[in-house]
Amino acid sequence: MPTTIKVEKLSKTYQVPEREGGFGAAVQSFFKRKYKDVKAVQEVNFEIAQGEIVGFLGPNGAGKTTTLKMLSGLLHPTGGTANVLGFTPWELKTEYLRSMTLVMGQRNRLSWDIPAADSFLLGQAIYRIPDDQYKQTYKELDELLELEPLMKKPVRNLSLGERMKCEIAAGLLHRPKVLFLDEPTIGLDITGQSRIREFLREYNRRTGATILLTSHYMADVTALCERIIIIHHGNLKYDGSLNDLSRRIAPFKLIGVRLGKLNGHDLSLYGVPVQNEEDAEKHYIQVKAEDVTQVTSRMLSELPIHDITIADPPIEDVIERAFNE
Amino acid sequence: MKGDTMLKIFQRLWQVNWAEQWQYRANLMMYLLYWLVSPIIHLAVWTSIANVNGTVSGLTANDFATYYLLLLVVDQLTSNITIHIFAYKVQDGTLSGELIKPIHPMLTNTLVNNIAFKAIMLMGFLPVWIVLNLIFRPDFSAVTWQGILLAVPAIILGFMVNFLMSGVMTSIAFWTTRVYSINEFYFAMFVLFSGQFVPLQLMPKAIQTIAKYLPFQLQIYLPIQLIQNRLSPAEIAQSFLVGLIWLVVAIVLFNWVWRNGVKRFSAVGA
Repeated sequence: MPTTIKVEKLSKTYQVPEREGGFGAAVQSFFKRKYKDVKAVQEVNFEIAQGEIVGFLGPNGAGKTTTLKMLSGLLHPTGGTANVLGFTPWELKTEYLRSMTLVMGQRNRLSWDIPAADSFLLGQAIYRIPDDQYKQTYKELDELLELEPLMKKPVRNLSLGERMKCEIAAGLLHRPKVLFLDEPTIGLDITGQSRIREFLREYNRRTGATILLTSHYMADVTALCERIIIIHHGNLKYDGSLNDLSRRIAPFKLIGVRLGKLNGHDLSLYGVPVQNEEDAEKHYIQVKAEDVTQVTSRMLSELPIHDITIADPPIEDVIERAFNE
Repeated sequence: MKGDTMLKIFQRLWQVNWAEQWQYRANLMMYLLYWLVSPIIHLAVWTSIANVNGTVSGLTANDFATYYLLLLVVDQLTSNITIHIFAYKVQDGTLSGELIKPIHPMLTNTLVNNIAFKAIMLMGFLPVWIVLNLIFRPDFSAVTWQGILLAVPAIILGFMVNFLMSGVMTSIAFWTTRVYSINEFYFAMFVLFSGQFVPLQLMPKAIQTIAKYLPFQLQIYLPIQLIQNRLSPAEIAQSFLVGLIWLVVAIVLFNWVWRNGVKRFSAVGA
């Protein structure tokens, strides 16, 4: 497959004004501003072939969004080169903008105060989509995302998830060849999330489009991406298959239990106890993936268990672990 | 890009912006009041003075009445709200959504938004204007069709220069957050040299001379004088020439500031 995205030594350094608090510092900064260099992305290299779906992962502030912004042309890099579909993104050539899409956040393509239908029609004109193609694409999008009931309400009156659905649909009307998706399933319920995933997979299969997406939902990544790229502190840390990474980094599961009484029971006999601040009522232990069945049945027979859950470690943890190793 | 494609884009942009403007009816009423107050006060003050003295610097009460009533229309046609509808998008990053679309955000969407705003303001303003005419009963006999026909290109030129200069000042938002103070300064110059407060004849000779070479009078004084047939052919030719030179200057400046500004865009937030 030909290369669609090629990134070489791509770097972005932000200059952020910096000063101490207080009156003196305020006056001083008026005359002489101090800037701090924040290296958001540092000499990142990767290539993505046509038709690939790649998960772009990293904790908050890792440089994911900055990279997506550079690849979509919104940001000029401070160093390096990028080539997408034969274009340098930040030259913002019309041809380029017409063949890619960036879905980022909830307030991008839709006008807040008017029904989404109007923004869709504007999109049709801007991207020069012929009527029959527009109808066909809209029908497909409607089937998968159930857009029709949302089209006539002003966008500001839609729920978070409804807005996201419209936002994604608006970004795909022109059938882009390259998709940059920043948290495409954020704010959606489980059904909505799986619909979007299904849709992206189908879109990729049918059109051979290349997709680069970020997500904090492991399910998005496992369902869609055979390959992932991890960056942290602006550096590329991992580029390879998801299976390899999971096997290497997080070959364990989290078992959470609510007990009648903890008195006298030592959970460390079953696995490594871990803290979970989000759910203080439960006790969590970490267990090797291959031992889960055995440990769970032992716990069920030996402990006064009211409730038990088994989960993958959160994606953030897996990634965090990847860097710390 | 083909003409009919562009036409379709502008037509759909119009639908969206027109619908959007209607969402802000209350807001528009505020703008309308703000924009009516100052000319109406000037109108009342100067016609009273002229009524007592007969004339002020050769201008009669009727001259003042026709001047300010025409000013209300011309000002609305040539003014723009670009800085208010665009600068914040640079600062809070919402411009991102527009930059990745294959049309120029300022020269398409913002332009149409300005025009939709004008259209809706003029609709709200028309009844007020009729009432003002009934109160002051100005004599428009000096107005001719030729004058109005000459004023049309002058108004378009005035709007284009003003829109592009506002685009330049708004684009300074890519560098600094203090665009509003720069705009205030520009507005102060405008008030002084455009004829916005008083007809330029009432200003000192030096100001009148400088005003001839600045872009501001294109927006107010020139169209009003043209409508009233008050300029000689030589003066008309000179004013249009100055206007065209400013248009070229504005285009060059805008292109430069925009091209370099977008490079600095940091697309903060979403």
